[in-house]
Amino acid sequence: MIDATTQLAGAGGSGPSVPVVELIGITKRFGGIVACDQVDLTLYRSRIHGILGENGAGKSTLMKVLIGLVLPDAGSIRIDGRPCTIHDPLAAAELGIAMVHQHFSLVDQLTVWENVALGEAGRLKSAGVRDRVAAISRQYGLEVDPDAQVGSLTAGLRQRVEIIKCLRRDPHILVFDEPTSVLTPEESEQLFDTLREVVAAEERAVVLVSHKLDEVLHATDEITIMRQGRIVDRRPTQEADVRSLARAMVGREVSLRSERAAFGLAEIEEADREPDGGGEDRQSAETTKSDEPALRIEGVMVKGRGGARLLDDISLDLGAGEIVGVAGVEGNGQRTLGDLLSSLVPLDAGRVVVNGEGVSTGSPGAMAKAGVAVIPEDRHDSGVVLDMTVAENLLMVDPHRAARHGVMDKRTVTGIAQQMIDEFDIGCSGPDAPLWSLSGGNQQRVVLARELAAEPDVLVAAQPTRGLDVGAIEYMTDRLRQTAIGGVAVLLISSELEEILELADRIVVMSRGRVVGELSRAEATLETLGLLMGGSAA
Amino acid sequence: MLIDFFAAVGDVLSSESTYINGALFAALLAFAATGEWVAERSGTLNISVEGMLLSGAFAGALGYHLAESVAVGLVFGAVGGLVIAAVQAEMSHRLTADQFVVGLTLNILIVGLTGFLDREIDPRADYASEVEIPILVDVPLFGKALFGEPWPFYLLYGLVPLSWWLVYRTRWGLELRAAGENPQSADVSGIDVNRRRRQSIYYAGLTSGLGGAYFLFARLATFDDSVIGGQGFIAIAAVIFGGWTLWGTMAGCVLFAGALSFQLSLQGLGYELNTELLQALPYLVTIGAMAIFARWVRPPAALARPFIRGLK
Amino acid sequence: MLYALSVAVALALSSVIVEATGGDWWPVVEALVDGSIKAPGRWGETLGVAAPLLLVALGTVISAKAGLINIGQEGQLLVGAAVAVYFSFLIGGPGPLNVVVLLLFGALGGAVWASLAGLLRFWRGVPEVLSTLLLVFVATQAVGYGLKWQWLLLADEASRGNRNLVSEQLATDNRIPRPDVFGNEFPVTAYVALALALAVAYVLARTVWGFRLRMLGHNPRAAQRSGVSSTTYGATALAIGGAFAGLAGAAMLAGGGFSFGNYRLVPGFSDNIGWTGLLVALMARERALPAVVAAFVFAGLRTGAGFVNSTGVESRITDVVQGLLVLALLVPPAVIFLRDRRRARAAATERV
Repeated sequence: MIDATTQLAGAGGSGPSVPVVELIGITKRFGGIVACDQVDLTLYRSRIHGILGENGAGKSTLMKVLIGLVLPDAGSIRIDGRPCTIHDPLAAAELGIAMVHQHFSLVDQLTVWENVALGEAGRLKSAGVRDRVAAISRQYGLEVDPDAQVGSLTAGLRQRVEIIKCLRRDPHILVFDEPTSVLTPEESEQLFDTLREVVAAEERAVVLVSHKLDEVLHATDEITIMRQGRIVDRRPTQEADVRSLARAMVGREVSLRSERAAFGLAEIEEADREPDGGGEDRQSAETTKSDEPALRIEGVMVKGRGGARLLDDISLDLGAGEIVGVAGVEGNGQRTLGDLLSSLVPLDAGRVVVNGEGVSTGSPGAMAKAGVAVIPEDRHDSGVVLDMTVAENLLMVDPHRAARHGVMDKRTVTGIAQQMIDEFDIGCSGPDAPLWSLSGGNQQRVVLARELAAEPDVLVAAQPTRGLDVGAIEYMTDRLRQTAIGGVAVLLISSELEEILELADRIVVMSRGRVVGELSRAEATLETLGLLMGGSAA
Repeated sequence: MLIDFFAAVGDVLSSESTYINGALFAALLAFAATGEWVAERSGTLNISVEGMLLSGAFAGALGYHLAESVAVGLVFGAVGGLVIAAVQAEMSHRLTADQFVVGLTLNILIVGLTGFLDREIDPRADYASEVEIPILVDVPLFGKALFGEPWPFYLLYGLVPLSWWLVYRTRWGLELRAAGENPQSADVSGIDVNRRRRQSIYYAGLTSGLGGAYFLFARLATFDDSVIGGQGFIAIAAVIFGGWTLWGTMAGCVLFAGALSFQLSLQGLGYELNTELLQALPYLVTIGAMAIFARWVRPPAALARPFIRGLK
Repeated sequence: MLYALSVAVALALSSVIVEATGGDWWPVVEALVDGSIKAPGRWGETLGVAAPLLLVALGTVISAKAGLINIGQEGQLLVGAAVAVYFSFLIGGPGPLNVVVLLLFGALGGAVWASLAGLLRFWRGVPEVLSTLLLVFVATQAVGYGLKWQWLLLADEASRGNRNLVSEQLATDNRIPRPDVFGNEFPVTAYVALALALAVAYVLARTVWGFRLRMLGHNPRAAQRSGVSSTTYGATALAIGGAFAGLAGAAMLAGGGFSFGNYRLVPGFSDNIGWTGLLVALMARERALPAVVAAFVFAGLRTGAGFVNSTGVESRITDVVQGLLVLALLVPPAVIFLRDRRRARAAATERV
């Protein structure tokens, strides 16, 4: 797959013509976080431009600026050399910019042609739309039945519909946001052929946003690499290789952090865990395995709507005091794994065993009762209740702590809450402050405080540092490490590789709901992990 | 006993008036249910349809009172329905107030308001003239019921297919269906979801207002605040019973109106029977249908869920 | 501020309607005040109406806290009253005890009726908003059927005289006492309703059960994770909501006063108390203590309406005033909400 890169001179290799899009000095802040910092980007006709970066690197924000979903704080946009502002997606459409969305913009209950017609103007002529769908299908090899109901199609076919919907508006500039995250390798392959067609046939410019190294190498003419809101590198695809890209994408700062993890705090941690037989991580895992593992997941399968396997034959053991990282591209089953361990989904096959006892995963509070605490991926989804107070959120899992005969004692509630607020340094006006009045970092501390207060045997931390600023990240990382030292088994589900490399003793990689690889920390490098995550064999 | 029962049923079914009454009620339900169906397809469980019917009936009477014309009365009726629709639509899909609170309040408000205005103004109306369609009207049993009705009845023959065409064959219909099924996707595709929803409530107001006025001119000729008496809720039941398809909804209207007229005819022929059961029938049948078919027949996925951009 | 403005608009609109139809607005207002509180004995009368309204509203508050939309109180109330009167005569017994039996069976009847919707919701996935609504009309017919047959609810010929479709009248010692307070008479159920309002507020705010119920209403997934079963808690909340409505029905029956059938179950007995009670709860934004005030205001509009006729203006205007007030009070929170959203829009777009 890697050697495929060499043959890609690209259609636009004959030298850059006039730029079709110029983004100049784009800056966008959200609260304290700078999503895009002085970003310049130039796109040419007849070229596929790859934008590579990790989750949260600012790629999506940059593209949202381009299609008018986000207004930049600073910077300017030129289309065909003319300066313009893009207020909303309609304005972008008029300028010939279209985006194939990561999360589909399709309506399941409508047919293919109806979806394609959605959002246009003028009279609805089904025959005309159908013909056009058929014509586009033929031209680009995107076969699909115009009368099929979209809900009955596979992810790959749905994406075809999405692409047809975009192409029907005949855009000059086509943005693909993580297009392969829902596709099988063969489907991805077909998609890239289509991209070539699109570019070659009508001198369109295509942007491919991705964090998968091999597909960027495989399918683009030029690559821009983003990290933490900035552009760190750009180069023609011929001059790039997978290793240098991985390094550029993950970046120097990260290796600094990993170094710190490797040489600094990590040593202390291992020294503390000496009786466990620390040092070699494999060994520590095996020692605990011979005892009862704190958490054992056996052949677990969870089916989603329409029978798709969200988790497919997952097996995983987690020993006391061990931190296991679950790495992977988002949308490969991590969310379901988190939900499973939060008592939110029942199993279709397999077992979940905590401290030797099987748990019925779908029944309310079963995992919490068994001693599994969870910092959920999206705290607003199942982690906190925004309309309740800080104190109430802190006591959600175990209100009986502050109650006698089923009545909660106000003074005890406040006392317990205040103690936790102090211990975890939660910034709020007091125990009675409504949770929504807290910043994201402090809301996350509320979750952490509550989950640790339950004195769990297992702690599941899903994307625990997402959206937090640097200080809050440090805090969270330290807390997780201390928790493990205290003998709790920690499952760290994260799409941030550096976080996993910094914390985990052992790393499993998930892809398409399966575990595709398991590495000790010693074996794991950014490159090996990146390759596994990207679907290439290590 | 059993033989008596069959004799009674036979008598009723062979009586032309059963069909005439049935068609009359079915038409009232159909006017309301057609609009209600459009509103529900766009995502609103529009319980103010009861108020729309009543408002339409009163405004119809008022129109006739002022102009001595059934046609003017119908126009007034449509406007009467639209007024209620305006409050419902603007409050629930612009101001994002709870659609049930608005609908419920409107239903109570409009009973009070029409009752109040009725006593203050006391509008007088009259029956609409009957129009018989030659030849067809002579078909035994059904002829008079379907082709010998007061003339506003025939509006339905246009309105129902028109509604079907609007919803399934026009861009507007496509967009409102998208708004009812997946407002987020519709929004991303560049559709103003709440606007489509408001428009479909206005459509419901239009048809229900017409329906209320039709009923006034076809059956009552004088207004009273109890004339609608829950028929709007039966129309809602018909939409649910019909599994949110137009033809199913119409089948529900015919079935429920049939039950009502069956009961009236039985009484008219001097048979004793359980009227309560027959009156509860539409609701019982609908609850039963929901309980049985809830797995297969899905309401529009976003039914009764408000859409606010940026919130799931 | 915004509230004052929209209430003023609602009142102005009502006055316009009255003036436009040739009536005078001010005497109507005076009559409303006289009829609801000022005239002798009237505030007692108002309390007698407020009590069942409050009871219905309290039940609504509880089911709403669990995130359920119960709009079938009118039917639950009626079934409660019917079950109460049936068992009151079936069981008999000495006066005071019989009153207790009557109230208990009222609550039970309402609870069972609401639980039908609960069953459909949690067993078959039928949205409770549809089933509770449809069950109202089934309840009306079921009770109407009962009133036709002597073995169910119909009174015997001697007692019903020439009236059809009425139940036996409750004996004097089977009625709820109406002690005289400062020249006003009202059933003691008014005190009971007030006490229950305090109890509901306390249970929701202070007990573990109430805490978990609120959690379920605010965030079902967080609740599920924390061990709150949506089925158990939801079905219970619906049943309690129905029980309160049924209790209100029984209290109307045995409490006398106003136009509640004079200690008999009659057709149309529920007289919109269920619907209005639902509105009381919604106006109080689903909180128990504000519901006390709202119930009194809505009751006052009803009792006051009785005096409006004497001004020459049709008394139905009070329904209009009531409706307009409710709509007016819906506007400010919506406007505030929209304003907040607009401010938070930028952040929200990014999160898509």
